[in-house]
Amino acid sequence: MRWRAGQVRRLLKHTQEALAAWWKPVKREVVSFLADWISWIYLIYGGFSLHYMMTSPTLIWRPEEKFVLPALAPWGWFLVLWGTAELALVLRSFFWSLGNRALGVVLTAKDGSKPSFRQRLVYFLASHLALLPLGVGVLFRPQAPVHAELAGLRLSSVSQLASVPRRRWYFRMFGLTGLALLGMTIALGTTVTGLDLGRMIRDFRKPERMWRGLTHPDFTYFFRADPGIGQSVAGGLVESLFMALLATVFGTLIAFPLSFLGARNVTAKGLLGTAVYFITRMFFNVFRSVESIFWAAIFAIWVGFGSFAGSIALLIHTIAALGKLYSEQVEHVDPGPLEAVRATGANWVQMIRYAVVPQVIPPFLAFTLYRWDINLRMATVIALVGGGGIGRLFFWYKDDLQWQFVGAVVLGFAAVVWVLDYVSGWVREKIT
Amino acid sequence: MPHLVINNVTKIYERGRVRALHEVTFQVEKGEFLVLIGLSGSGKSTLLRCINRLVEPTSGRIYLDGTEITALSQRGLRRIRRRIGMVFQQFNLVRRSTVLANVLAGRLGYSPTGTSLLGWFSRRDLKLAEQCLERVGLLDKMHVRADQLSGGQQQRVGIARALMQEPQLLLADEPVSALDPATSHSVMKYIEQINREDGVTVVASLHFLSLARRYGTRIIALRGGEMVFDGPPQDIDNAKFKEIYGEEAEEVEVR
Repeated sequence: MRWRAGQVRRLLKHTQEALAAWWKPVKREVVSFLADWISWIYLIYGGFSLHYMMTSPTLIWRPEEKFVLPALAPWGWFLVLWGTAELALVLRSFFWSLGNRALGVVLTAKDGSKPSFRQRLVYFLASHLALLPLGVGVLFRPQAPVHAELAGLRLSSVSQLASVPRRRWYFRMFGLTGLALLGMTIALGTTVTGLDLGRMIRDFRKPERMWRGLTHPDFTYFFRADPGIGQSVAGGLVESLFMALLATVFGTLIAFPLSFLGARNVTAKGLLGTAVYFITRMFFNVFRSVESIFWAAIFAIWVGFGSFAGSIALLIHTIAALGKLYSEQVEHVDPGPLEAVRATGANWVQMIRYAVVPQVIPPFLAFTLYRWDINLRMATVIALVGGGGIGRLFFWYKDDLQWQFVGAVVLGFAAVVWVLDYVSGWVREKIT
Repeated sequence: MPHLVINNVTKIYERGRVRALHEVTFQVEKGEFLVLIGLSGSGKSTLLRCINRLVEPTSGRIYLDGTEITALSQRGLRRIRRRIGMVFQQFNLVRRSTVLANVLAGRLGYSPTGTSLLGWFSRRDLKLAEQCLERVGLLDKMHVRADQLSGGQQQRVGIARALMQEPQLLLADEPVSALDPATSHSVMKYIEQINREDGVTVVASLHFLSLARRYGTRIIALRGGEMVFDGPPQDIDNAKFKEIYGEEAEEVEVR
């Protein structure tokens, strides 16, 4: 039998629909349970870590030291994971569940009434059968998970219930659980990063030389090249500006045509169109998730240290980031003009040019200007791995403790960024 | 040979398994002003879009002057679409572009891709655009952005865009339902004029029976995707009206 495109498309569509129908109930049970479980793991292991960092006789946590995850014996891990799972199951069977709350569902009997204690007990015990062995009791028949069937209960959406069974406050302590999660985050955050306001106030004189240098900038080498580096501050600024500009201009030129291939509403309906769409989107996502500084490190070795490596690094990230933003914008255009232009007998390219492009020009321009801004900032940072530009001067003077020159660099850079911000803001206002 | 032939056209939307059209069959002669009526969701828009294949019919055949539209390749389809103008309920103009750019877009099917990408049109096309805008009384708005115009003016730009195609058939999908009654008539009169003076066949869907009676030379009524009436406007009596629009409906007059 020969496969026709229509059959394949229909098969794909059926698969997609079946997956969606399967995923919705699975999400209710599995994601909700995982949310509960993970929050309890976080609270309990977090509490343990806090205790360890504060009191360990062998290692009193000090901010100068690197944070290391507190080690547990293998049985300790087992205990934490299992114990928290049990805790989560008890709480979601008899008391409250943050996961259910977040998904907008509540545990009720089949008819939507309040479950009895016996039903809750069965639900709790049967959950061990269904959820703990990797959720097998749910994955195979998500519409009627084993534990819910045995107990005669189900998770019903709050929005579809005539009346939500209301229980006493100690059965539903969502607020307190949420507060505990927030408190744990703050406690762990301050301890791990060694946040210490007292020290900040106590040691305010330490960077005194630096403050003095920054407030008394030395502009000797602003326009004249510093013989030590062979470049002036202004030269570095121009270099960085053009690195950012080059990356932005080429990035825009490449991302612009690609973005139409990554927008579902203008790619063809068939298999080929879908493939093109997915490949383009995947390209954007993969290259966007790798930061420019990583590319700069690679290209510094590949093509040598300097602004060439930096520009290419910025360019790659710019194409991916702009491409994604552009495609999303294309997907949000008014479909009416597309239909109208298609109806006149125009081809795909003409439709893009006359129905899509006029609609997306202002947002595209805004994104591009914004990207130039980002690229200029990134251009300074990537000097750390050999990207060249103004950042190179900053790191040079900083390592040399020549704070008066660092001051000149920082002020020069701030002035450029300020002007750029002002201009791009003005342009963006004009075009919308 | 009839101008437009609709033969057993059925459309089933796969998503939701909705049957929008069921074995619709009729023929249209050159120069007719055919009005499609029916409730929202009765299949009027789908039928119109099947004619120029903005919507692919599930089965059935459609012929224009003996050419089977439903059997055409993409290339052939683009060629035949040039001869079919279309006017939309929401005007479907590019709001940020000028009136002229919107009108010229009607000429894209005839223009080579390369030059049209640069925004170049032949002198003849520009001349034609002026003539079309003059016909709908908007010559002075040529360089105004489309979103600066009122609803009625925007729809007239839509008509000018369709005129640019020098069409033999004009499809109008609820051309006046986004407009107020007074403006409705002025827009309908332009469509009527195109029908009378240029001999362009018009197939229009309309919400109000009074408008259909006033402008149509023939009416086809759809209900649940099936044809329930085909005949001259004066044949729709009260009983027919109830059959088309349901027992509860009352006729509303648009003056």
